Amino acid sequence: MSKAISEQGAVGGKLANRIINILLVIGCLTIAFPLYMTVIIAFKQPSEMTNDVAGALAFPKSWSLSNFAEAMEVTDFWRSLGNSLLLTGATVVICILIHSMAGYLIGRKLAERKAFKAFYFYLISGMFVPFAVLMMPLVKQTAEIGIANRFGVIVLYVVFFMPMNVLLYSGYLTNIPKALDEASHVDGAGVWQTFWRIIFPNMKPMHATVAVLTAMSTWNDVMTPLVIMSGTDQNTLPLAQLNFQTQFGTNYNLAFASYLLALLPILIFYVICQKQIINGVVNGAVK
Amino acid sequence: MAEVILKHIKKIYPNIESKKKKKGEPEKKKNNLLVTEEGVLAVQDFNLEIKDKEFIVLVGPSGCGKSTTLRMVAGLESISGGDLLIDGKQVNDVEPKDRDIAMVFQNYALYPHMTVRGNMEYPLKLKKMDPNEIKRRVEEAAEILGITQYLDRKPKALSGGQRQRVAIGRAIVRDPKVLLMDEPLSNLDAKLRNQMRAEIIKLRQRIDATFIYVTHDQTEAMTLGDRIVIMKDGVVLQIGTPQEVFDHPINTFVAGFIGMPQMNMFDAELQEAGGKYSVKIGDVAIPVSEDKQARLQKNGVKSQPITLGIRPEHITLAQEGEPCLTGTISVCEMMGSAVHLHADAYGKDTIMIIQTMNLTDEEKNGISIGNKIDFTFNGNMVHIFGKDGANLES
Repeated sequence: MSKAISEQGAVGGKLANRIINILLVIGCLTIAFPLYMTVIIAFKQPSEMTNDVAGALAFPKSWSLSNFAEAMEVTDFWRSLGNSLLLTGATVVICILIHSMAGYLIGRKLAERKAFKAFYFYLISGMFVPFAVLMMPLVKQTAEIGIANRFGVIVLYVVFFMPMNVLLYSGYLTNIPKALDEASHVDGAGVWQTFWRIIFPNMKPMHATVAVLTAMSTWNDVMTPLVIMSGTDQNTLPLAQLNFQTQFGTNYNLAFASYLLALLPILIFYVICQKQIINGVVNGAVK
Repeated sequence: MAEVILKHIKKIYPNIESKKKKKGEPEKKKNNLLVTEEGVLAVQDFNLEIKDKEFIVLVGPSGCGKSTTLRMVAGLESISGGDLLIDGKQVNDVEPKDRDIAMVFQNYALYPHMTVRGNMEYPLKLKKMDPNEIKRRVEEAAEILGITQYLDRKPKALSGGQRQRVAIGRAIVRDPKVLLMDEPLSNLDAKLRNQMRAEIIKLRQRIDATFIYVTHDQTEAMTLGDRIVIMKDGVVLQIGTPQEVFDHPINTFVAGFIGMPQMNMFDAELQEAGGKYSVKIGDVAIPVSEDKQARLQKNGVKSQPITLGIRPEHITLAQEGEPCLTGTISVCEMMGSAVHLHADAYGKDTIMIIQTMNLTDEEKNGISIGNKIDFTFNGNMVHIFGKDGANLES
């Protein structure tokens, strides 16, 4: 009897596994297919672009890097890359410094004081305000106070990412026992020292998460630099890539080559940070 | 090295408006703690003078306010009323970092990103001490605690006992005036706990600090403390040396809490005839000792129903012709040198510890579950409590 049940269970389990595997393969294909198309189009010449399916899926006749070279020239690649790196790097560093502090204070005081709870919800509500609503007033205000430049964009990014990052940091604080703060206070540290010496290093996995999320959003953002910095000659990579879209059409071969180039730095950054996102960093702190 | 004085210390946790006691409403209790108009009284009128280098143990059941009191001394919890003095200086509003105290936490609270050395150096670095002096102190403390070989490991690579040693090391390396310990052994297994208890006794002799130790384990309290403070529901019930508390418990709670196995409590009668007192359980009357007679007389105690407390180790098997109580053995726990017997007597589970070396073979054979047992006790070793639980002799 029990053997029959267990055999039935095994058959059910195998079927479920098969379905899950099929779903996973479909999921992988939906990610891999656009990537495949990007790569082969980036290497094809415009003359190789066809409307028939077989031709569109076929490999390029010759693997040439000429599209990449031309894309770099059109986008003023090194200058745009520098701008993107500057904006992203500065935003990530400032976000980690400021948002971790805010998250620490709010996270630790959330249960104790109503004022912090109210402030927390106020901050979090910022996540639900669409950028389109803010766009016009921000363009006007940044221009008025003279920060319609890279600095202004960084400031705006730091503000925009605050709700999500504070939510992440204050949530992560529940993994860091309050006893660590108390031990540090008794050991002779003030709040400031406790944060920098004890809490900040222990939030490393969350720093990595925040860094990846912030960097990806900043790196790929077109709208904010477009509306704030237009005409300043300080293009970021996504802004420079708009050059491929003209009134008469889009040069997909150059555009995709450029997208691949722009993908590389953020991909490397993601791989580095991913190693840091490990669980159990506070193992051994308490029982 | 410091004297610590707690004068009328109290701790109130303010309630939210809906739960707060209304004016004129009678006082009520929440988890047995008193709720007043201001909030829940976690610690009430705590008075204690701790002498320099004294080892004080706060003991009591969970939620009695012992950890809260310790945290108030540490500065981790605000003081709602009263004065806290360390070395004659009022420190109610002084930050923890400025109190020159160290604390060992129940869950160790080691900094996980630092090595053992880093953990121990941390408080000294905060004091901006000379690096050579830091090195010397850390190595000395590590030597005392036997953790020298683990100095370059991270806490996660240590066992529970080793982590606890590091936590103690981090506390003693500062040479603090007052060393606070909040149930430091409660996360360790029984064997390690005994071992660490002995280590703390040795440590105490090597360092010059005033100790305040919190535990719910009466064995730790009895073995470690110069004086014990027994608390219940935020109130201090009794302060005394382990022997005083054991010999003269102030009420039935203290009597039951201190001592293992716990004291037997019988419903009995205190009889007074011509100035002579005796206690009567069932049909058996046993006169109490002379000094107890004197104390009862001095207190003007009359004949009344009482709760009679007798410790398991003070019960003996009755000899032929001796006035005795009779029970039926329900549990028999052989411990080697002694046997712990549970007997149903007068509607109570009565525990007695009988030393096996004094027993004849016949008596040993008689000890088995279901057999009747005649036992008695010395009138000098009983504790006489009123029906309200208070000790009538004190």
